[in-house]
Amino acid sequence: MRRRRFPWLSYLVVVTGAVLTVVPFLDMVMTSFKGPGEAGTLPYRFLPEAFDLSNYRAALHQLNLPVLFRNSVVATAVITGSVLLTSSLAGYALAKLRFRGRDFVFRFVLSTMMFPPFLFFVPRFLILAHWPLAGGNDLLGRGGSGLTASILALAVPFLVNGFGIFLMRQFMVSIPDEVLEAARVDGAGEFAVWWRIVMPQTAPVLVTLGLLTFVDAWNEYIWALLVSTADPDVMTLPVGIQLLQDHVDPARTTPVVMAGLVLSVLPVLVLFLLLQKYYVRGVMLSGLK
Amino acid sequence: MVNTLAPEAAEGAVRGRPSAGPAVGGRTRARRRQAVVAWLFLAPALLFFAVFLILPLGFALLLSMSRWTGFALGDIQPVGPANYTGLFASGSTFLVPVLTNTLLFALGSVALALAGSVVVATCIDHLHLQGLWRTLYFLPIVTTVVAVGNVWKYMYEPGGLVNGVLNALGAGSVAFLEDPDTALPSLVVVQAWASVGTAILVLTAGLKSIPGSYYEAAALDGAGPVTVFRRITLPLLRPSLMLVCVTQFLTGLQSFGLIIVMTRGGPGGATDVAALEMYRQAFAHGDWGAASAAAFVLFAVVLAVTLAQVWLFGRKGEDA
Repeated sequence: MRRRRFPWLSYLVVVTGAVLTVVPFLDMVMTSFKGPGEAGTLPYRFLPEAFDLSNYRAALHQLNLPVLFRNSVVATAVITGSVLLTSSLAGYALAKLRFRGRDFVFRFVLSTMMFPPFLFFVPRFLILAHWPLAGGNDLLGRGGSGLTASILALAVPFLVNGFGIFLMRQFMVSIPDEVLEAARVDGAGEFAVWWRIVMPQTAPVLVTLGLLTFVDAWNEYIWALLVSTADPDVMTLPVGIQLLQDHVDPARTTPVVMAGLVLSVLPVLVLFLLLQKYYVRGVMLSGLK
Repeated sequence: MVNTLAPEAAEGAVRGRPSAGPAVGGRTRARRRQAVVAWLFLAPALLFFAVFLILPLGFALLLSMSRWTGFALGDIQPVGPANYTGLFASGSTFLVPVLTNTLLFALGSVALALAGSVVVATCIDHLHLQGLWRTLYFLPIVTTVVAVGNVWKYMYEPGGLVNGVLNALGAGSVAFLEDPDTALPSLVVVQAWASVGTAILVLTAGLKSIPGSYYEAAALDGAGPVTVFRRITLPLLRPSLMLVCVTQFLTGLQSFGLIIVMTRGGPGGATDVAALEMYRQAFAHGDWGAASAAAFVLFAVVLAVTLAQVWLFGRKGEDA
């Protein structure tokens, strides 16, 4: 009924929108190949005169890429691992274990999602800076830089995620109790039930949550900027590339920055395209990004 | 903590299972052990929330009513509501333009993303290759704000793509980010561009849940496409629309990563928003008190806007 004829108008709208979405990415890639004085000059040209790889060499040379990559990878891995572990542990307790106060804890976890992150930037930074017995601090948190000068500082505020606990709990609720009871009767402890029975069944959701967490952690900018202003050794890729513009020959700043951006965006784009089924489901489940 | 809770959990278990009969001793022990395990499983998350959620909230509240230069914790001086009143004192830029910019930025980007996503989602619904289109629209969502901001900043330059297109069409160049009049609208476009993918995804899911029989009935009654859209699609899409509106407003009111990358609040404060102002007060000016107060005021705004939307969408539901 709804498809009486070929939907020309719909195609026109959707394709136009898709072109508008993709063109900035293409412009980024094209610009990353442009030679000195070729970008930002009039008249504008979309294609580069030659596909010049020297911008990538300049970006690699300027960026100290091994350090930036290491920091981004370590922070992202720690965050993703911690979110997966803590969410599936807490989600299992809230979904399948009986104890007093369970509803209260669940409501509390939900409420943690409602506080906007900007509320925590200042106090979290101060708490890390005054962390006792770290980074030269004494027992009262005085004297040193605390945890702010460590690579851990990048990850700490994101280690646990209320949304992750919620997602795991919602999925685990649907696992039949009989299966768990049977395992318990067979003498399995709660930890074994969680690890041997519940975790394998939740694998698809773990992939979804892991991917959502990975993408957010890899792209995180504001907190990383804050931490690496205090200590450049813990700079991540986004922060390093943003700073790149101040350190490159002005005649070719834009192409070199674009080359750096292509390098930093590529891993996460490839991962998203490979696993987009899981990512899309995560967004559908939550309505959030 | 675990020891004091375990007997209560056991009581609850006995109460809840009167039919346990002779096995009640074993059951009680099992229940008690389950409660202990539950708190152990929850411990990492709860510990984190205590240290990095509740403690910071209390700390921020304390700071918002103090004067502090940011060194020794002993130097925190209570000043009462002075930081809050300072934000709204005459000569303060917080209300105008910072807060008005924040609201305009959020409102503009939500309106644009919502309009775009409704149009695209209803069109995608008729097409083949829906997965491909959604993937394309989704690319900006998985891209770091540093890339989005820099690419658009470059595209807005006199020699960039946008002006290149304008020139090719015979129009003059526009100094998008340098002109105080166009800077905020230019950022609104980027924010909408970057967030429209999620909206499309949520709305497509909402459209799929509308039963096809409604459309068939409307077609039998001879309803035109505009009537169908207004009388069937829009009302039934309301829950998805509300979800999109609320979440995108939340993001729009808080986000400043894009603005830091593209304009740093310039030119002349034309794109200064509340979260950026808070960030600057704390980490550039070292005024932790004012920054914390600004954060709570923005939180109140976010809460008010969210509740207003929930109320508005709920009320419209009663009218229909």
